[in-house]
Amino acid sequence: MEQAKSIEYKGKVIDFPYEKPEEKDIPLEHLHQKMANPSTGRTKRIKDRLRYKHTAVGEFCEEGIRGGMERMRYYTEAYKASEGQPEVIRRALSVANILNKCTVLMQEDEFIVGYNAENPNFVPLYPELSHFTVMDYMQSKYSPQPVEEAQEIVDFWSKNSLLARGMGYYTQEELLRQFIFTTMEAPAFASGFNSIVPPYETVQEDGLLKRIELAEAHIKEAIEQLAAPYWVASERMPLFDKIDVWRSMIIIDKAVIAWARRYSRLCKILAENFEADPKRKEELLEMADINHRIPAEPCKGLKDGMQAKWYTYLMCHAIERYASGYAQKEDKLLWPLYKASVIDKTFQPMTHQQAVELFELERLKVSEHGAGKARLFREVFPGSNDLFILAVGGTNGDNSDGCNDCTDAILQAAINIRTPEPSIVFRWHPKGRLKTKRLVFECIRDGMGFPSIMHDVKGTNQLIYLSKFSKTGNGVTPEEAHDWANVLCMSPGHVGRRKSQKVRTEGAGTIYVAKTFEITLNNGFDWSYANIQSGPETGKLTDLKTFEDLWEAFRQQYLYAIDMVNRGKDLSRHLEIRFMQMPFVSSIDDGCMELGMDANELSEQPNPWTNSIGGIVTVNSLVAMKKLIYDDKKYTLEQLDEALHSNWVGFEEMHKDFLNAPKFGNDDEYADAIAKRYYEEICAGEMKKIFNYSGGPMMPVGQAVGTNVEMGSRTGPTPDGRFGGEAHDDGGISPYYGTDKKGPTAVLRSVAKINSEGQKANLLNQRLSQPQMRSKHGFNIWLAYMNTWFDLDIDHVQFNVVSTEEMKDAQREPEKHGDLIVRIAGYSARFVDINTYQQNTIISRTEQDFGAEDLEYLGVDL
Amino acid sequence: MSTCSKCKSFFAVPADADDYAEGKGDCVREEKDEKGKFWLSKPVMENGTCEFFKEKN
Repeated sequence: MEQAKSIEYKGKVIDFPYEKPEEKDIPLEHLHQKMANPSTGRTKRIKDRLRYKHTAVGEFCEEGIRGGMERMRYYTEAYKASEGQPEVIRRALSVANILNKCTVLMQEDEFIVGYNAENPNFVPLYPELSHFTVMDYMQSKYSPQPVEEAQEIVDFWSKNSLLARGMGYYTQEELLRQFIFTTMEAPAFASGFNSIVPPYETVQEDGLLKRIELAEAHIKEAIEQLAAPYWVASERMPLFDKIDVWRSMIIIDKAVIAWARRYSRLCKILAENFEADPKRKEELLEMADINHRIPAEPCKGLKDGMQAKWYTYLMCHAIERYASGYAQKEDKLLWPLYKASVIDKTFQPMTHQQAVELFELERLKVSEHGAGKARLFREVFPGSNDLFILAVGGTNGDNSDGCNDCTDAILQAAINIRTPEPSIVFRWHPKGRLKTKRLVFECIRDGMGFPSIMHDVKGTNQLIYLSKFSKTGNGVTPEEAHDWANVLCMSPGHVGRRKSQKVRTEGAGTIYVAKTFEITLNNGFDWSYANIQSGPETGKLTDLKTFEDLWEAFRQQYLYAIDMVNRGKDLSRHLEIRFMQMPFVSSIDDGCMELGMDANELSEQPNPWTNSIGGIVTVNSLVAMKKLIYDDKKYTLEQLDEALHSNWVGFEEMHKDFLNAPKFGNDDEYADAIAKRYYEEICAGEMKKIFNYSGGPMMPVGQAVGTNVEMGSRTGPTPDGRFGGEAHDDGGISPYYGTDKKGPTAVLRSVAKINSEGQKANLLNQRLSQPQMRSKHGFNIWLAYMNTWFDLDIDHVQFNVVSTEEMKDAQREPEKHGDLIVRIAGYSARFVDINTYQQNTIISRTEQDFGAEDLEYLGVDL
Repeated sequence: MSTCSKCKSFFAVPADADDYAEGKGDCVREEKDEKGKFWLSKPVMENGTCEFFKEKN
């Protein structure tokens, strides 16, 4: 590999020799295939045989994946049989029936056990959420079998699913505008897509037997209260519902314990009847012991903690209902158990290296997980099996450094095993120890695309701000506000025994801004994709005589879409409260347990956000129109209208002018002023006028996930010079591909002009020079960049450090590049798993070199 | 009669188990595909029958 070009800096010539000199002999296009270093033979073997369930363009990347039947069958069977019982009890009985009757399974070499389907190649389906999704699977090669049984199940849920219950609250026109998925994401009741932050802490610290005892005590107390003299209806009537909720908790927690103990029995049966290797036999017996105690009892060591966490994950994200995400502050959650096992050696004693292996095993378990998502969600997260993002670092409640040896074990495991999931968020704070920051750098430098970095102080302050809107007056305390992770890719949310986010209808839901802007230019009509009126009539383009006319038309379209999205979210929540209760989640939340309330209903800490995606295409379009039409008057609105409807064909000179108009990300005052106005006045400004179920003001999250390509294909040509169908920008605040030409610190300066307080989060993708980052100066430069980023009050940044040569080689010979990982937006993926179009957007990101001016700005001492 | 109780894959659920029921067992079968071996365990009753029956030794 060639080293980075020398530069002159502060009167010296700075060379960039590789930090590891042997790398100069490695061909550039093969670098990442040589990096994986699993810490044991076992983790290497599992990685070599992983059953990936990654998806792209709506399909599973590997053969043999299928929708499972068992979850649908047993859920539906018990739901039908429990007719007449309170709905929350029906939910508990239905999920318990799955756990009691499902197949449990285990693979070779596994240590962490637990699956969500009856076969390691299957994914579970959720007809009670959206029977449309099951129908989609049935029309594909992934159809659950026997198909006749699946059809019967669909027929039943076509009248009873969340989807069936939600549609009646809209006009046909409104439904079409949402289901077509162009300016806005379809409502949660239609997709069944969900997000949750499970209170892992209570399972780990209490165990489920203790949770059952608590529910029983509450029921006893409530029954005594009902029988006490002087009936007062207003005080006592609510107790009937509460008793049902507590009863549902007991039903489900008992079923979870019994389910885990079936795994325990399987381990024992395998040890005694199937396994010949004495070492593995001994391990299977240890696993039998762990799975008998866990999650029934409190965890005592790190192995216990890992198993409890996985069962809790499966219940909250895959079995009780589907939910995306892997939200947890893992190094804080597991620190007491790491300490017990690795430092104090009081239970399950192990070395730090053995702990690293356990975290490698966790990564492998997550990599194999499959989600029965609808086709569209298999399209918009290309290369992923689902969104898995955990958080580490930051600060503790007493403001001390949150990094510890457990943080380092988590990062080391990621470096060793090289799997794209789970992705990691590192909460950056000046107090963060250098040793850990060095590991963060190594992950990034080695091309993993994670950790993504979030501003620790901003995230904590945001939780404190939102707590003021708590409906119960019991939002997070300033101390608790330090306990947060990203709920999905980007948005901070509280983690802990209570007050965490339980439903996506609290936060998320999406408006696609570039498409919204496109219809603004066409009086609300979508001419390029759906051929329908997608928004209100806000005036023909030729009638928008001033820039302020254009601005106002766009504002109205934006408002229409965010209002519709948030109505859909709260309608979905209204239905979830009545028909999609979560007895397990409720049982492990201290608030739900204390108050006898379902997790859908109880809101203590508001965490409202709506994704606002495609802002930079819009900003650059507004900039080009202001410059070339309204200010310089070089072109007319009529000409632009014609050029856009011709996809710029026949308007080549004009296209060149619009393409060359100022672009965001170059520290250009003209462009950045419009960006600032858009993000503060429309994006945050309009959003904060909306208040959702939790009582909090809505905040925007800018992130693309993988929708930049999918939604780009549904968006016609735009005045920034995009052709119809080309990708949107790939982040909330990332400059458009290849348009940030003034270096990495110019990007920071542009981004810093926007007040980040109004944004819940705003994704910044950057691609850094691989030779510079792998040089002996790489860490120093990156550290200075990060410190500057922090001081500029920017809330997020993430990096690709992969060469164009290697990505192009992987396009030619994908079979040789299974370990090449890239950052999409909010998550990472194996490059070979994503579609060519998406690959090309990654390649076309500007590869930022740090020049002398950048180094000067960062104050790097080389 | 080839019932589950006589099958090699049948393991009776212990009487102290949470999910104990008279005649209930775990049917544990080993399977293998190109990604390796795995074991499936499914609750069955001792008088049940299935296509995978293999007599106990």
